Amino acid sequence: MNLTSKPLAAIIFVVFFGGIAFSTGMGWWVTESAKQPAAYTEGEFVGQSNPADIRGSYTFGVVENAFGVPSKVLAQAFLIESNSPSTFAIKGLEEIYAANEFEIGTGSVRLFVAFYNGLPIDLTADTYLPENAAALLQDRNLNAEQSAYLKTHTIPNPGNPAPEVAPTTEPSQSAAPAETSVENLIKGKTTFQEILDWGVSPAMIEQVIGAPMPSPLTKIKDYCIEKGLDFETVKATLQAEIDK
Amino acid sequence: MKIFGKRLFRPRSIWIRRVVQWFFFLLIAIIAINHTLVENGGGIPFLSTASLHALCPFGGVVTIYQYATIGTFVQKIHESSFVLMILAFILSILFGPVFCGWVCPLGTVQEWVSKIGKKLFRRKFNRFVPAKLDNILRYLRYLVLAWVIYVTATSGTLIFADYDPYFALFNFWTTEVALPSLIILGITLLLSVFVERPWCKYACPYGAVLGITNLFRVFQIRRVESTCKNDGVCSIVCPMNIPVDELQTVRDHQCISCLECTSEAFCPVAKTVVFNAGGVK
Repeated sequence: MNLTSKPLAAIIFVVFFGGIAFSTGMGWWVTESAKQPAAYTEGEFVGQSNPADIRGSYTFGVVENAFGVPSKVLAQAFLIESNSPSTFAIKGLEEIYAANEFEIGTGSVRLFVAFYNGLPIDLTADTYLPENAAALLQDRNLNAEQSAYLKTHTIPNPGNPAPEVAPTTEPSQSAAPAETSVENLIKGKTTFQEILDWGVSPAMIEQVIGAPMPSPLTKIKDYCIEKGLDFETVKATLQAEIDK
Repeated sequence: MKIFGKRLFRPRSIWIRRVVQWFFFLLIAIIAINHTLVENGGGIPFLSTASLHALCPFGGVVTIYQYATIGTFVQKIHESSFVLMILAFILSILFGPVFCGWVCPLGTVQEWVSKIGKKLFRRKFNRFVPAKLDNILRYLRYLVLAWVIYVTATSGTLIFADYDPYFALFNFWTTEVALPSLIILGITLLLSVFVERPWCKYACPYGAVLGITNLFRVFQIRRVESTCKNDGVCSIVCPMNIPVDELQTVRDHQCISCLECTSEAFCPVAKTVVFNAGGVK
């Protein structure tokens, strides 16, 4: 049986678009991850959504659905002026707060949501909140550890003058030692070259990221986003190496 | 064109293939742009917002190991990649790597750039690489495939995206694209001026996978020796430099089923180079 180009072209279209239509009907055509954070697997809150799994690709609306924190509250906390705050993607915070010395990003939203709902979250890493967010949390039921953490991890709202004393990391149990230089903190703009300069070996970096060393000029945060790694986790591990 | 049943003009190419190539190129380009727009709070209504990873059948191939061992997809890969991988396999088993020759937008772009080379170098175009070296280099893509599968399986991330010219082609305007992939895209396009489809021939890991189906596909390109004039036109026009005029059935792992060698396009004798199932008399 001979086949010519026109029937072949038709077959290609039928197979691809018919296949996509069929798989859509069967519920197999999925082009994005479910915007549903993972749940706690142990402890008092088992089965509840875990704020630590909030992703940068989530919008405030997704967070509202998963955790019940209103989008308007989130927008107020992070000073987002928008008519539809529910559509604001969390990763947009990094750009808005890019000029800040202390990073405000996905980790900040995780922290805020956890504190807002009284849920446990790892406080060994240094995550910061703007004054507005901290003020909104004053009325929530924070325990002593959370209150102390909040006190030392609050930064001025953008445009406000910086406090005389910069936030410290003392309250957290495994936080950076007192001699940690502020200049040696990993931020959103920190490159692999910088942490190499701060004494972290390439082998250690490769161990942390689980892959060969990328170009030293690559920003760690960009790399994590590209590779789907959790920046907060990578940052905390590398920061611990710097602080040794 | 036929007048009084006689063919006056012979088509110089499979024009419908160009239409299909344009269609898929524009489709992927528009979806990639829409994905960026959506990420920035905009977007075109009623159009897919899928990422390029979600629409790449090769994503399905690289995630097979992780899916088989722990039941999850590699990050950024979704069920849609698996679906496309299966559809591309079905087409390839039936007709050979038509995905490469008719659908893949990177192949299309290389062909567009090659038109410059064809005008500049005419007969010399696509004949620059010495045959011996060319024969060896053509197996390089299997090494690339092995490397991609290994690093993806061990890291659980799409490391190949940093080197993938296809990803760079449709993401060069975003911060997601890595410098190595842009460089490889640039080199590929530059080489396309001298060689037809250099990425496909020497480095494409997905082409390596689909190319294997040439060995057992249902529809084959066959040459009828009894009517063949042995003018070598079929070999000259083959973008993948396959010596069609020396073969009875094309089972070369590099064939992309473009049909340019057939009697429907460049072969001047009717029903001499045909695309069929079941053999020729």
